[in-house]
Amino acid sequence: MKTRGNHIVCILLLFVGLTCFGCARQDNRDSASGVAETQEMSGDALDMLLSDAFFLDDDDDDDFFSDREYNDPWEPMNRVFFEFNDTLYYWVLNPLNKAYTAALPWDFRYSVGNFVNNLAAPIRLVNNLLQWKIADAGIVLSRFLINTTLGVYGFGDPAFIEFDLEPKPEDFGQTLGVWGIGEGIYLCLPVLGPLNVRDTAGFAADAFMHPMVYYVDSIWVSGEYYALSRVNLLSLNPDLYENLKKYSLDPYISMRQAYLDHRRTITNDNVLQQRSDNRL
Amino acid sequence: MNILRVFSISLLLILLSSVFLAASSSPTEALKPTLQDMIDVMKDPAFAGIEQKDPRRKKIMSIAAKGFDFAEMSRLVLGKTWRKIDQQQRTKFAQLFTKLLENAYIGKLEEYDGQIIEYEDERIKGQKAVVSTVVKNPGVPPLAVKYVMTNVDSAWLVYDINIEGVSLLRNYREQFKSILRKDKFEGLVKMIEEKNKSFEKEDSSSG
Repeated sequence: MKTRGNHIVCILLLFVGLTCFGCARQDNRDSASGVAETQEMSGDALDMLLSDAFFLDDDDDDDFFSDREYNDPWEPMNRVFFEFNDTLYYWVLNPLNKAYTAALPWDFRYSVGNFVNNLAAPIRLVNNLLQWKIADAGIVLSRFLINTTLGVYGFGDPAFIEFDLEPKPEDFGQTLGVWGIGEGIYLCLPVLGPLNVRDTAGFAADAFMHPMVYYVDSIWVSGEYYALSRVNLLSLNPDLYENLKKYSLDPYISMRQAYLDHRRTITNDNVLQQRSDNRL
Repeated sequence: MNILRVFSISLLLILLSSVFLAASSSPTEALKPTLQDMIDVMKDPAFAGIEQKDPRRKKIMSIAAKGFDFAEMSRLVLGKTWRKIDQQQRTKFAQLFTKLLENAYIGKLEEYDGQIIEYEDERIKGQKAVVSTVVKNPGVPPLAVKYVMTNVDSAWLVYDINIEGVSLLRNYREQFKSILRKDKFEGLVKMIEEKNKSFEKEDSSSG
């Protein structure tokens, strides 16, 4: 069991190393893109949607253009893992989810989802603080206190239902983005799914902020807890992946674009952040 | 004398009303009735059920045609390939892509289940505008949906829908770009045709 733990640490270190690579890349691009463009793009998310560059009228060299939209040099390998995950979904996850959904009513699964979310509150608290979102950190803390007590160990969400306190999710991947660290390359990892290097490092760092790590010794129990929470999440949003496949012509690219768009948007929501990753 | 007075008053009224109309046609004011009309069709028991699907889709698409700019969407989604194809190909592509959007977006819309749309913000920049809405569903965190619009002949038309930061149009655009690189325009047309057929097949098997 110990060696397995060491392996995981090695892999994580590798990803942290790769993040530095992503960081260097971002710097190169910054110096090339010039000041004028940075200033023009420093508006908020709404301005971004209105800018002509959102749908680039690409007279540019196609490679240059695509490099600015996404960074996916490992696409052939990523596609293999995408297919692997797809197979995993249809042969393992989907049947598992069907049985799970059939066995347990929605209310129960919703409560489990609340419990899982509540237990991860320290991650959100720390990351809100690291991004200097003090008010949001306060809301995270209030939500945690209310839901742990009134919500009975977090199974209910009275903080949202009664007190109108909306969740303020932040993770370390977003924190790294706010700190100006580049996304790095896009990855589609087996089991974990779509990620970029920055979010992979963030995912690993967040794992160490989870109370589970400090109360449960075995990495297997943590793994099982994670797997169960993912199945539960899937049971609450069963159509997400199937809709993506149903409506897209190339599900791999659709997922990549949706992931990058979504992550860039939620990373870029900080008022104090001067520059965005959304420079397209 | 009297006739002149009536004439001048009615002229004044016409002028005033046109000023008033111009002022009221903000992007949000243009978007609201379009979405509301669509939701009304969804809620209408006369259009409920799978057997009413064709008339329901027809009705919704006739509403969408007034509020959405499918021509602009087709142009933007193809990027520079749009300039390389002739008028006939453009028309054909616009038809196919509109059908795809109908299948994708209206298909999603048909899952409507009493959610409330709140209009939060509006920003205009030249001939473009974004209307930010939030879709609220009891017990679930709200969903941010932004409608990106363009001003065509003083009417505001939607050309992109952005859900939680994910642009519908750019998602298709990236997919198309990759397909165009490998299979050219003809290959893309064939793939969209097949995709549209897959929805018909699904309907006939479930209905």
